[in-house]
Amino acid sequence: MTKAAILALLLALAPLCNAHAADPQPFERGSWAKLRTAHEGRPTIVHLWGLTCAPCLVELPHWAKLQKERPDMRLVLLAADPVPQPPARVEEMLARTGLDKVESWSFADRFNERLRFEIDPAWSGELPRTLLIDRDGKITTMPGVADLADVRRWLDQQGKR
Amino acid sequence: MRLFLAFLATLLLAGPAAAQHHGHGKPAVTPEAFTATPAFGPDGTLWLMRATADRIVVVKSTDLGKTFSEPVAVTPEPMNLDWGPDARARIAVDPKGGVIVTFAIFQDRNFNGRAFYARSRDGGASFTPPRPITTDKTSQRFETAAIDPSSGRVFATWLDKRNGAKARTAGKPYPGAALAYAWEDGDADFGKTEIAVDNTCECCRLGVAFAGPGRPAIVFRNIFPGSVRDHAVVTFKDATTPGPLRRVSADDWKIEACPHHGPTIAIAPDGSYHVAWFTDAPSRKGLFYARADNGNVPFGAPRALSSPNRQPARPYLLSDGQALHLVWKEFDGTKSMVRWQVSRDSGRQWTDARTIAETADASDHPLLVAHGGHAYLSWLTKIEGYRLISLENQP
Repeated sequence: MTKAAILALLLALAPLCNAHAADPQPFERGSWAKLRTAHEGRPTIVHLWGLTCAPCLVELPHWAKLQKERPDMRLVLLAADPVPQPPARVEEMLARTGLDKVESWSFADRFNERLRFEIDPAWSGELPRTLLIDRDGKITTMPGVADLADVRRWLDQQGKR
Repeated sequence: MRLFLAFLATLLLAGPAAAQHHGHGKPAVTPEAFTATPAFGPDGTLWLMRATADRIVVVKSTDLGKTFSEPVAVTPEPMNLDWGPDARARIAVDPKGGVIVTFAIFQDRNFNGRAFYARSRDGGASFTPPRPITTDKTSQRFETAAIDPSSGRVFATWLDKRNGAKARTAGKPYPGAALAYAWEDGDADFGKTEIAVDNTCECCRLGVAFAGPGRPAIVFRNIFPGSVRDHAVVTFKDATTPGPLRRVSADDWKIEACPHHGPTIAIAPDGSYHVAWFTDAPSRKGLFYARADNGNVPFGAPRALSSPNRQPARPYLLSDGQALHLVWKEFDGTKSMVRWQVSRDSGRQWTDARTIAETADASDHPLLVAHGGHAYLSWLTKIEGYRLISLENQP
């Protein structure tokens, strides 16, 4: 086995590893555009939550339940704490709620005004917040704890289109 | 080759996310307070309270912030300071030059706080060991000390979770926290803690001003029926009698969430009340200002301070005796800036908003502080450091 072959194997396996990423990916300047491009053309739900947001921690298990019920749901979790949290603690919380296999990001810049501006200039940082992005890229924003009945309806609509 | 394989296996097992974290060459993120809170002493000395992850220090300046003294530590041992985005260690100086500082720590991973205070009677050369503001250990956060200008007596108010814990034990619901207060009791301690209002929002800073001798007025984000998180003012009738709750604005922001975004209050010499706040209600989004002629009448119609698309945030009001000053932060996509308005007719008319400072990275809340009828902006930013900017000398 040559070094080149091993490298090729490594590169081939890398995306698989990504699906089981151990830590949230650092969400920095430009990350939002990357995230959007990666899911372009496919209905995606981005759920913004935070370790420092008590209602978010109550809500998370409901998302875990919905993910089990609807394996077709493309869910992305973004921890948007205004003061960046240790990635290990973000992961620990997601593991506890059974969401550790879901694509996950975490704010990694104290200049959170800039990160928030890229996502939505009118978002002042309140959490939780859920963004339903349809296949055309149209975003429906659900501020506060999401009504999962509405989310299910939205998912059903995406399936019919 | 075997080593190389082991290296590859490690990489493979760790996964790209872990590699990314290390690859960026950044240390692990540790939440840390980034605040500087000012107060002027009676002699014009500028006192500044600085907080980091595990300690707070006090520095002072006799040349309006150009140079500062060596820092004096208030926390002798490292402490797990409250780094919440609306929390801050504070400092107040009484008319005799006595200094009091307040701060909170996190007691646990659930963000239960413990509020402390410390005093200096030797011009800031040393501070008493920090002591809890109250004996109850449940949780206190957003502690705010204010000095009654008529007596020099210290009033402290904070958000307290004791009644929530009691309700839970009794199997009853208890949304939010309680607005608690205590007065300084002699030199040594704070007196008994009293609850002024139950079921306030639990994660927003408080604003305090004085309506008269022994009569503090507190503005806070309340929880109105239906989980509506709008603002209210409580003015004390006397030192131990909180008056009725006066709603500042019916924004009807119904949300089960953490705004982390508290209000600000000023009371002008004519007795008029001035409040600015943040809301994200469907019908009213962004920063707003409202005034009331006195403590007994309803607040007037809210005035928007900015477009909600510029992330208007962290308003701060100050009456310097002659004028009312109002500042807040905005973000234009690249830079954060502090906007300023001034009113010389009790808040009826205001100058056009003007940018007085800006920065291209993280920043603390903009604060206002005054001495001898002169008002200053006090702002800590990551790139520029601490700045004290005179508002009188603005073009």
